[in-house]
Amino acid sequence: MTDRTSTSQLDPSLDQVQRWLQTVIMDPDGIEAGIVSKEAHNQIAIAPEHVDDVIVRSQNQTSIERLQVYSNAYYARLLECLRSEFPALLHALGDETFDAFAFGYLQMYPSRSYTLANLGANFPQFLTETRPNAGDEFSNEAETWPDFLIDLATVERTYGEVFSSSGFENQRILQPEDVAAIPPEHISDARLIPVPCLRLLKLQFPVHEYISAVRHGNEIILPTANPTYLVITRRDYVVRRCSVSSVEFAILAYLQSGQTIEQSIEQAAAHSGFSLLELELHLSDWFRQWAVSGYFQEIKCSTASNDK
Amino acid sequence: MYGYAHPNLGLGVGLRTQHFDYILQHTPPVDWFEIISENFMDCDGRPRYILDQIAERYPIVMHGVSMSIGSTDPLDREYLEKLKKLSNNVNARWVSDHVCWTGVAGLNAHDLLPVPYNDATLKHLVERIRIVQDILERPLVLENPSTYVTFRNSTMTEWEFLKYMVKETDCRLLLDVNNVYVSSVNHDYDPEEYIRAIPHENVVQFHLAGHTDCGTHCIDTHDGEVIDPVWNLYRLAHKLTGGAATLLEWDAQIPAFPVLHSEVLKAKRYIADVDTVEDLVTEDGSTQVPREKLTVVTRSDEVVEKRSIPQPALYVPAEVE
Repeated sequence: MTDRTSTSQLDPSLDQVQRWLQTVIMDPDGIEAGIVSKEAHNQIAIAPEHVDDVIVRSQNQTSIERLQVYSNAYYARLLECLRSEFPALLHALGDETFDAFAFGYLQMYPSRSYTLANLGANFPQFLTETRPNAGDEFSNEAETWPDFLIDLATVERTYGEVFSSSGFENQRILQPEDVAAIPPEHISDARLIPVPCLRLLKLQFPVHEYISAVRHGNEIILPTANPTYLVITRRDYVVRRCSVSSVEFAILAYLQSGQTIEQSIEQAAAHSGFSLLELELHLSDWFRQWAVSGYFQEIKCSTASNDK
Repeated sequence: MYGYAHPNLGLGVGLRTQHFDYILQHTPPVDWFEIISENFMDCDGRPRYILDQIAERYPIVMHGVSMSIGSTDPLDREYLEKLKKLSNNVNARWVSDHVCWTGVAGLNAHDLLPVPYNDATLKHLVERIRIVQDILERPLVLENPSTYVTFRNSTMTEWEFLKYMVKETDCRLLLDVNNVYVSSVNHDYDPEEYIRAIPHENVVQFHLAGHTDCGTHCIDTHDGEVIDPVWNLYRLAHKLTGGAATLLEWDAQIPAFPVLHSEVLKAKRYIADVDTVEDLVTEDGSTQVPREKLTVVTRSDEVVEKRSIPQPALYVPAEVE
């Protein structure tokens, strides 16, 4: 299609107007770039100098300036939301770099949800997908910096999800004595049902401490790389997190996947290098602590009468 | 149509997370609260827990920003069902949204985008409003948004469009007086003519808010006190409609709750003063409300403008130990 030079025949449908306007105000290169884009021309083929044929100018603003209000607002509003959701990532990157990442993210993953609570859902994935390849331009030390950022985004996003998800407030949950009371004949087939807000994250950095320091205004220490196994849940409507050992994490992960208690312990032992005898020294304390922390709702055995 | 009453609930404020603790501890004598529907529809966390407690003590009205009633995309049935469920759970007195669209082709700009005011748009909205009202089983309440562009293919004024929309659907109106003022500045019309022309009998609620004057245009930022010209328009609207539930929105640079509450209580002065509405006529005999800048500093600097984010901006951050 060619650009219009006359104003006499332009009568776009509502759908054309909406698709055109959305394309124009979302264009990362600005209003005029949006107007001349192929996507906009597929709806309304018009040059920037003739945009008055679609948008009427006011006494004080040109049509382009009026469109600019929506363009500014689109990115400003969504960047503000992302800054609110990822305060520690913002702190680590600084305002300018964070905004650059967020700006790129919004282009690759524009919102498709009616709620802003979902706006940052793909931000960790975006950072992973756009991560520089090792050795491209970083020194050895700096190569871990992207992993730190990805860990930060992952944990902050998980905090947001856990904060809004279903929890177990005002419900009975597994008590420490419940595990000890499992009849011996059901030890092999007993399963622990996790609370719906339980999340397990395997990380390369202990970013939870960095995040807490940023959120609470404490002294911020940049952590060094150290494999971290984080359990995140919610209690009394506040998000809680706890770092556990790799073997605890493995047992919890097997339990969360639906394995029986016995299977979970055996598989964790097989993959951790610990013997069953070594694990047994800790199991009682671990299960007790998990119950106190509210990680599980109940025990399910194959015989319903033994459910807790 | 659906037998729903829309009583004058008095003077209310928008419920914001920053004020949760104060409200629960002090039970302030505010008449009612308005919630942003999308902040609670999918939430099983603390905001929803607090809302349930507040709904036991105060009337709740639900105000949405994502129905996208004007979009050419299909209506989101799952969204509407969640909206209905929440309205039943919190005993919402009514459910409102905006005469706008928020996105098309599956995207959401999270903005209240304007529609051309013409017969085709009117037909489109009327059909969708009827569907939504059937799903919600109650009249939909729709608000006039602040807008920043007008379309060449509009064939009627915004107030004419609202009049026809109401006539065809029997929906109700949430008259945002600040939005009338902001749009009147942006589109060079007389806000009093707007207020006088809308179907007053269908107005069930007013919105009041502060805005940012950028010199060449105004932006609906909800970040300060209501300016006098907007109060004067409110006084006129109150007189013409016989009064309706009135709510103050404050969504940026949010003050302590007592400051917020005292701002909406200023409405009492204008409600009591409705007989002096003739004061709006200026010395030269025109009915144009003077564009004063009593509490808002003119800020035409581009950087400041870019920081002036039109509402809505509605992310609720997580609480972490």
